[in-house]
Amino acid sequence: MYRYDEFDERFVRERVAQFRHQVERRLDGSLSDDEFKPLRLKNGLYLQLHAYMLRVAIPYGTLNARQLRQLAHIATRFDKGYAHFTTRQNLQYNWPKLKDVPEILDLLADVEMHCIQTSGNCIRNVTSDQFAGVAKDEVEDPRPTGELIRQWSSLHPEFAWLPRKFKIAVTGAEHDRAAIKVHDIGLRVLRHAETGEVGYEVIVGGGLGRTPMIGKVIRDFLPKGELLAYLEAVMRVYNAEGRRDNKYKARVKILVHETGPEEFIRRVEAEYAQLNGPTINAPEDEVERIAAYFAPPPYEALPEDSAILDAARRADPALDRFVEQNGFAHKQPGYVALTVSLKPIGGVPGDMSDAQMLAFADIAERWSFDELRVTHSQNLVLPHVRQDDVPAVFAALQAAGLATANAGLVTDIIACPGLDYCALATARSIPIAQGIARTFADEARQREIGPLPIKISGCINACGHHHVGAIGILGLEKAGVENYQITVGGDATENAALGERLGPGIDAEDVPGAIEAIVDVYLKERQSGEVFIETVRRAGLEPFKAGFQAFIASDEGARTLAAEPAQ
Amino acid sequence: MADVKAAAKAKGPKLPVILIANDLLDGDVVFFGAQGWTRDPRAAKVAFDAETAAFMEAEGRAGFVANIVVDPYLVPVEIDAAGFPVASHYREAMRQKGPSIHPDMGKQADYPLGA
Repeated sequence: MYRYDEFDERFVRERVAQFRHQVERRLDGSLSDDEFKPLRLKNGLYLQLHAYMLRVAIPYGTLNARQLRQLAHIATRFDKGYAHFTTRQNLQYNWPKLKDVPEILDLLADVEMHCIQTSGNCIRNVTSDQFAGVAKDEVEDPRPTGELIRQWSSLHPEFAWLPRKFKIAVTGAEHDRAAIKVHDIGLRVLRHAETGEVGYEVIVGGGLGRTPMIGKVIRDFLPKGELLAYLEAVMRVYNAEGRRDNKYKARVKILVHETGPEEFIRRVEAEYAQLNGPTINAPEDEVERIAAYFAPPPYEALPEDSAILDAARRADPALDRFVEQNGFAHKQPGYVALTVSLKPIGGVPGDMSDAQMLAFADIAERWSFDELRVTHSQNLVLPHVRQDDVPAVFAALQAAGLATANAGLVTDIIACPGLDYCALATARSIPIAQGIARTFADEARQREIGPLPIKISGCINACGHHHVGAIGILGLEKAGVENYQITVGGDATENAALGERLGPGIDAEDVPGAIEAIVDVYLKERQSGEVFIETVRRAGLEPFKAGFQAFIASDEGARTLAAEPAQ
Repeated sequence: MADVKAAAKAKGPKLPVILIANDLLDGDVVFFGAQGWTRDPRAAKVAFDAETAAFMEAEGRAGFVANIVVDPYLVPVEIDAAGFPVASHYREAMRQKGPSIHPDMGKQADYPLGA
């Protein structure tokens, strides 16, 4: 893992001291609310419906046990004993008090963490593949690139006041688990088809929100050493030409769309040609220094398969099911990565109690080389577990209430905080997720349905990524009541696609039934081996629309009957 | 939110109303009551006429200028059977109660009905 050097340490500590002073000046009235607001936002502090909310950056979703213990400690001491993992691999506290935030930031700095640029119109936390350094389909670990971008973008003087927020995601693998096509910039590490040289595919202008767009490839191959100068060229074009007159049209996706990809590319390349690359790009020894922090842990030489695990799986169906569903093939023989679901049936997606954090820190420390990951689907990962140790890890996870075997299934739902917490929300998200999860609680049924990413947002800003859910749910307000629109066919992977609406919005209590109706269409239509999204792609939207409409019609009929009791 | 507030000011929100804000120091939802700002939703002063509403709005601005509260605005309410004001819109009703998924947190826990 990356460790702060003296510069990083000083930079973060200075920033905490500045914020402490800013809070003092706000409280004594020498800073107005208008003056203070952008300052608190740049330090990740929001004001939500019931309280302040503090968002902690987890660069490229990697943590160690000491950090997780500190996060637990903060949850206990300054919050209500829990915290929430987000779709950008960050962590949010829902109840901090303004007067305590400087102290919280100091505690974070003690474990090399901060909240810098987790809000505001700047380059946000860089996200990545949760299986970085683990996946077999990986060209290169994307995290050194993520760390390089973190250092370059932190308080970059030119990009501190962009037209709007800016999100970058990096993957090093062929299969995209970081949703790079729906980020402002998505980077994919690849090998040049002819020379074998390592570089990046650069995608710009993806995004969700009220105007969802799939990003456009603006460079098929960027040599690795040229990354920062090229990013700087993209940022300069955006910073100069992105719209500042209308916040709803201010993201880079709108600029790329309105300019047209070809013209956008021309402008970026023209800017790039003028830049003095060597003064911007990181020196090779610095890139190597960063990469060294992400060297593989000291694995043991082990056979591919574990006889111990095989025997334990035969003896324990629950363990077998857990490994089958939550296990991810590791490139190192004898090891496995385990997804640890934060989606127990009826729970709050992404929430974790302080006690669970402490237990999980012990597990990661003991059995996963002191490393854990956060996924953009609000789960955690133990990246490097010896297969021989899996039975013991499973038992420890069970004891902590963290052994739900539903990774990627219909109950593994992404949900934004929604109107239960968020000041921007138009409807609740979490109770919808809980209702669906309870409806599909039966494990055999979930397994029969197979992979089905459901994503729920409580407003048009789409923090719950509903546009790219195989089933997407968007909560809105209609005539003073919460109302939910259902889309089908979205995909956040390398086959990125935006879902399409099935029909009119429905009431909250009808959502689980509507999802059942949609799932029934899939089970009826699917051909051998097809997962949900493949059936949608092959069969098209029509059968799903028909199933949804039929559900609405029968549901309305049932309601009319209920309203008119039998004579 | 700025748009909502501007619209409310132009037309004046539907009466009766209460005045809601966040405490600057700890972020808690606060209500303007007979004795000044209170955390208890049941102690919110209810304005049944435009004059009282205007007075409360001015108190909100004063609280903001004095760095006691942030984001004060009037919220239309209905009076429930027990005589307490309940926000007409579900969003503001959520602020009066706390997260619906956590009955153990927020106002609903701190000021339980019947207590």
